[in-house]
Amino acid sequence: MADTPEAIKKSVRTYLFVGAILFIGTITTVLVATVPALDVGAHGFDKWDCILGLSIATIKASLVAFIFMHLNHEKKAVYWLFASGLCMVCSLAGLTALALGDPIFDKFFYSGH
Amino acid sequence: MSSHATSPAGHDAHHEDHHHDPGFLRKWVFSTDHKMIGIQYGITAMCFLAFGFYLMMVMRWSIAFPHQPLPEWMSWVFTDGWKARWLQDGKVTGETYNMFGAMHGTIMVFLGIVPLGFGAFGNYVTPLQIGAVDMAFPRLNMASYWVYFLGGIIMCSSFFLESGSAKSGWTNYSPLAGFADGQIVNQWLAGQTQWLLGLVLLITSSLLGSVNFITTIINLRVRGMTWMRMPFFVWSMLVTGFLLLLAFPPLEAAGIMQLMDRVAHSSFFMPSGLFTKTEGLANLSGGGSPLLFQHLFWFLGHPEVYVLLLPAFACVSEIIPANTRKPLWGYKSMVYSVLVLGFLSFVVWAHHMYMTGMGAAVSTFFQTTTVLISVPSVVIITAMLISLWGGSIRFTPPMMWACAFIPMFGIGGLTGLPLAFNLADLHLHDTYYVIGHFHYVVAPGILFGFFAGVLHWYPKITGRYMSKTLNHLHFWPSLICMNLIFFPMLVQGMAGFHRRWYNGGDAYLSKAQDSVNIFGNTVVQHIDMNIIMSMGAWTMAFFQIFFIINLFTSWKFGKKVENDNPWDATTLEWATPTPPGHGNFLVEPVTYRGPYEYSRPDCDSDFLPQWIEPKHLEAPDKH
Amino acid sequence: MEIPYVVTPRKDTGLFNSKIAIWLFLASEVMLFGGFFSAYVFLRLGADFPWPERTLPVLPGLINTFVLIGSSVTVVFAWASLKLRDWRKFQIFMGITVFCALIFMVLKGVEYNVKLHHQALRLKDYSVIEGHLGYETEDDKPVLDHKGNKIEENLINVETSKLTFNTVRFHKPWVEELLTQAEHRHSKIVLTADVSAITREGQAAEVIAKAGEPLSIELLNRIQKTHLAARSHNGVIRTAALRDEWKKAKAANPDKRGWQIADGVNIDMAVVTPQLLSEISTVAFTVDPSAHFDFHPRDIKPAATQSRLRDDTVIDGKLLDSPMVFHHVDAIDFQHLAMKAEEKGIDPEVAIENSWLIKNSPFAKQAWEWHQGEVAKLKAQLLKDYGADKDGKAIRFPTHKELYRIGWKDFAEKAEDEGRAKLAPADAFKEEFFGPNYEARGDETFPGFSVPREQVGFESKFTPAWNPYYAIYFTITGLHGLHVIGGALVLAYYLFFGRKMYLSNPEWLANRVEIGGLFWHFVDLVWIFVFPILYLM
Repeated sequence: MADTPEAIKKSVRTYLFVGAILFIGTITTVLVATVPALDVGAHGFDKWDCILGLSIATIKASLVAFIFMHLNHEKKAVYWLFASGLCMVCSLAGLTALALGDPIFDKFFYSGH
Repeated sequence: MSSHATSPAGHDAHHEDHHHDPGFLRKWVFSTDHKMIGIQYGITAMCFLAFGFYLMMVMRWSIAFPHQPLPEWMSWVFTDGWKARWLQDGKVTGETYNMFGAMHGTIMVFLGIVPLGFGAFGNYVTPLQIGAVDMAFPRLNMASYWVYFLGGIIMCSSFFLESGSAKSGWTNYSPLAGFADGQIVNQWLAGQTQWLLGLVLLITSSLLGSVNFITTIINLRVRGMTWMRMPFFVWSMLVTGFLLLLAFPPLEAAGIMQLMDRVAHSSFFMPSGLFTKTEGLANLSGGGSPLLFQHLFWFLGHPEVYVLLLPAFACVSEIIPANTRKPLWGYKSMVYSVLVLGFLSFVVWAHHMYMTGMGAAVSTFFQTTTVLISVPSVVIITAMLISLWGGSIRFTPPMMWACAFIPMFGIGGLTGLPLAFNLADLHLHDTYYVIGHFHYVVAPGILFGFFAGVLHWYPKITGRYMSKTLNHLHFWPSLICMNLIFFPMLVQGMAGFHRRWYNGGDAYLSKAQDSVNIFGNTVVQHIDMNIIMSMGAWTMAFFQIFFIINLFTSWKFGKKVENDNPWDATTLEWATPTPPGHGNFLVEPVTYRGPYEYSRPDCDSDFLPQWIEPKHLEAPDKH
Repeated sequence: MEIPYVVTPRKDTGLFNSKIAIWLFLASEVMLFGGFFSAYVFLRLGADFPWPERTLPVLPGLINTFVLIGSSVTVVFAWASLKLRDWRKFQIFMGITVFCALIFMVLKGVEYNVKLHHQALRLKDYSVIEGHLGYETEDDKPVLDHKGNKIEENLINVETSKLTFNTVRFHKPWVEELLTQAEHRHSKIVLTADVSAITREGQAAEVIAKAGEPLSIELLNRIQKTHLAARSHNGVIRTAALRDEWKKAKAANPDKRGWQIADGVNIDMAVVTPQLLSEISTVAFTVDPSAHFDFHPRDIKPAATQSRLRDDTVIDGKLLDSPMVFHHVDAIDFQHLAMKAEEKGIDPEVAIENSWLIKNSPFAKQAWEWHQGEVAKLKAQLLKDYGADKDGKAIRFPTHKELYRIGWKDFAEKAEDEGRAKLAPADAFKEEFFGPNYEARGDETFPGFSVPREQVGFESKFTPAWNPYYAIYFTITGLHGLHVIGGALVLAYYLFFGRKMYLSNPEWLANRVEIGGLFWHFVDLVWIFVFPILYLM
């Protein structure tokens, strides 16, 4: 981890750069959502807007986590601790959402009526 | 040789305690010492357990004798005013039964077993077993206890409110829990709301606790204590910590949302067009989902089962090797099993929800994971069983309980299998079969494990043994009564007895005695079991008195221990002075070997503690 | 006794204690917010009402995002300055961070405030009106209520002649409110009849309150006390009597089960009654002369002649007209109605034409006609820009919201179409934060409208009660706001009280700031998801 004064001074520039990317990312998200000419997918909000918006958000969040929160040079143990949370959240959100419908009636599973 | 097995510095070092006296409050009440906090947790949790047990005794009266007034020996606890509000001519009403049922479950799970297993045993034993001076954050540890205490008080004090306490089952399902007590104008003084507030505090407490435990286990292990040299107890606590850390927050989210539903009239869990008898069409926007609450609740609810269970596993797995004089069989596979168990417990929750009509594909997924999770539990319980094989078993008091734990938990676990299958569950869901199943796991299973733990570590805590005679008087009646209570439940359940009949099925008798239930069983064939079960419960309550007497009198009058390691055990907690002072160890110990080195052929003594330096061995250490 | 690895990392794990702890805590926070986001997904996918998409003003959210990102950069600078042992710079950067938190909360407060004063109403036929409540003004002055407040609330009026209180459950603040209202209307609330009760076993009934005694909390408390004492006394007597009966019944039927003889075991009331005291569960008061009282809709269950309050107070009297009076209507929304119509296979346009609102409000009818013209223009524009597929159907078409919702910006546009003045840019900018400016745009743009009570389906301010979207919006942002406040307090503590530690053990302070910073970044990280999910989707 950046502990020497030189290394810290160097990383300060990285922080500024990342900050700038975050700003740009935010503006992009807003423009895509509000300016009709930049709309992706169908007119108005649809899954493509959702995917794009969440992708940008994920990239931004990863930048915050890896650069600002120093995950990029953190010990492996921390990855395990944090990843356990992320993993369980995915199972919670994914499985609850799946339980809403019954995919067995999808063509993929069953091609009857 | 056995003299080597005592602590690194003997008894005479006791007077070296150079800490000045911290004063009564700091020592006994606001202590930051993990051992004192453990004892506080233990005593508080046992009080809550006793209270929860009492609630159950009243409920059992209502089930067995629904038309008769509560007898004096149970009802003296209440004031006349309280009885006039909640009993009808001395009889338990349906509403009161619901209140007691909801609080029995809540108290037993959240205020009794979890704090006893994780809070008390975990706090007292874990730092000792890894050779730490204390928890990583002693003040956080204290905060964790007091937040728990406050949460418990808030929940239980709601018994005295005009609304009474929560009445919607310990699962607190919406929309029932969403509009229960809706007639109370100041929602903050409604039992159902206080239940939520208490719950949020309890979750905060276990969050603080689990962060502390995991940090301690990761960072404060003493020199030489590698991962695979940690006692199984510590592994269990680590996994329990992770379960608490990750499973509780979604319930906290659900709790906050339900709180919003109650005080801000939102409709997170309230469906459109909700119509109730008392309110008519609810003045709510609707559009929410009751199923969402069930998902969030059971996302906690299932890992919670393992939060209850793992500390009991932990206690038993320490007691068995010490009393069989044999290493724990399959230590490594047990460790991996407990890790797998912890992981899988997060993806099985919807097996509590087969009746909700979720999709068949998702049901299949949960059915599969549920059956899968039985594999690691069976690995652990089998390893314990095999550990007994060929050992020279000492039937010490803790060992008696540990030996009873295995078959009792076995019944509890195996009766769970039919419930894992969607099809069988449709019949058994919400019957007494379910009650019998999980009480077999929790009462004769987990509680027996904890009794074993109390008896096992009592000599370390107080320097005295608990009485063997009193233990016999406690153990055998408890074992018999437990089965008297819970086995008939399995039978009744398969006959279709519903778990929420406050009069034990009596309502069906007065109208149609021969009403055929399922599989040709009638209510009248099975209703008398209610009386047997209730008698069993009250008898068991009587014999618990011997445990309470034993617990308190042995503190002063029990037989003194001969040395710091009375069971000739191998793990680090026995290397401390008795009782351990603030800071635990007189000399920082070093770990040289695995936790269960019993009956090594190369040693004279039949046990080789973790802290004995290899050069002390008469035969050279082969490692 | 000293706990190791408080400042320096442990060799094999490479971490100091509090760093493990904060990451564990953050993992648990991920689960907490994950629970809420899962709830959001679940509620949105399963919604049986039109989910309000892209409904919040973007600008305050966008500024807040910038503020949080900026503070994330400055907090990491503050940590770096500490590592370089530059106290002055640390102070500056940390100061900016805390200031950013303040801006964030102020903007959040403005956003909440606008919502909490904005009324929504769903009619019985599922058309929705939004706007501001308020009774008509008299001589350009607002009508004041009995407390001197401007009447904005929507209230239920009852011409009350009699009030019957439940002696256990009456809610003190409500009783006080009734007394104030009675005084304001020059009316008195007095006990209807003498309250007499047997208060001692075996004695005759005595009068404990005389007819004509005015209503007071003290009087109700006195009756309550008598009632409760009697209730517990009677409980004891009746329980003992029932026990005796059971003893006798069991002795008479030694080989029978309880359920077999239960029907025959009853308390002998002839024996018990003389021992009982009087329970007074309700007490009636006359309103003299009868006056009209108003109640909050959530407190009362109105009925034509006998309404009931939530604390079980029964109100005898005629229910008066209690229309919901909108001072300004700023949106008309047929999305829900259209959705219900589609579910039933009815053409939404027909359903809207037949809706109560269109039939009864010329303004709504005119606005809807204007709106249909706009929709046609939009359809033509989309067809021109993006073309049609080979069946001649447009590739892009207006959204459900564009088809069926006339929002305040549409009303503003309509006003400009009709030749009313444009708003000054500064005022228009203010509207981005505070919502429509009624004064500047005038009553023609946002006219008033009155809805009779029987048409009201469900009404609420834009609070969590309005629908699950607002519920989850308030819950997630509120919880996030609490995290912002908590984080800012911790960081401010290091800023204002960290000097001593800086001088004695700067590395420890740097560690602490790093931990606090990790939490702060996490708060930012959550917002990075909250912003698109709640504001842009």
